[in-house]
Amino acid sequence: MTATVYTGRATNWLGVIVSGLLLVPLLGITATNSVDTTVVLVGVLALIGLLAEVATASDVRATCGRQGVSFYWGFAGWPRASYRLDDIAEATIATIPWWAVSYGLWWTPWRTVCTVRSGPALRLRLHSGRTVTVTVPDPHAALAALRSASTSA
Amino acid sequence: MKWTIDHSSPQRLQDQVAASIVRGLNTGELSVDEQLPPAAELAAALSVDRNTVLAGYRQLRDAGVLEFRRGRGARIAARATPNGLAPVRDAVRETIDLAKRYGLGTSDVINLVKELS
Repeated sequence: MTATVYTGRATNWLGVIVSGLLLVPLLGITATNSVDTTVVLVGVLALIGLLAEVATASDVRATCGRQGVSFYWGFAGWPRASYRLDDIAEATIATIPWWAVSYGLWWTPWRTVCTVRSGPALRLRLHSGRTVTVTVPDPHAALAALRSASTSA
Repeated sequence: MKWTIDHSSPQRLQDQVAASIVRGLNTGELSVDEQLPPAAELAAALSVDRNTVLAGYRQLRDAGVLEFRRGRGARIAARATPNGLAPVRDAVRETIDLAKRYGLGTSDVINLVKELS
């Protein structure tokens, strides 16, 4: 019994840059002594944005193998999603144009999208009708691992 | 990064995990400072125990290929690349020397390698 597994990790560089920019007002607030309502509001918003960015979309890890496809988002590996091989109708490679990159995790009733760069990404079509599109470093290798897993299973 | 584990092979599972990493390093799939997947996630995908993956990682840390950083997981160490290929490079050099003694040139050796593999 041979297990072939593909793992990959894609970093959301735009997300990292945005987090860095959000840090600027936070540091600015600590530098000023006057406490104002607007200052506090901007600080709280920046902090929420920063935490959301770092926690969910700073990078995305993918694992493709016999257990199916698992995605782990962000710093702590949460949120996460797993799709069993039985649930996947078709796995393809989608080429994402630059204007359609999501730069974060988007969940709609029909689609789950997390692309962090333009170019090829892994797209799964599930039996439930949902499509899942996620950036992986080498989608061709991911697809090959899935194919070999589904033939050996 | 592609991992291949043969559960029926006599080779230890942790050695196979380590071999996958060294192979990835030599094929260029892994580069210096790249973070490896957390042991629990990889173990679930490979159908092995988490401790088996960790043993494979530790083996390579002791060999200087990986380094563990608190809270940042296992990463490919900066001095990993030349060490990983050293035994193969030495063997190839020996083969070239031997081929020269038999009057074979570099292209003959390359043809021979292609024929045999």
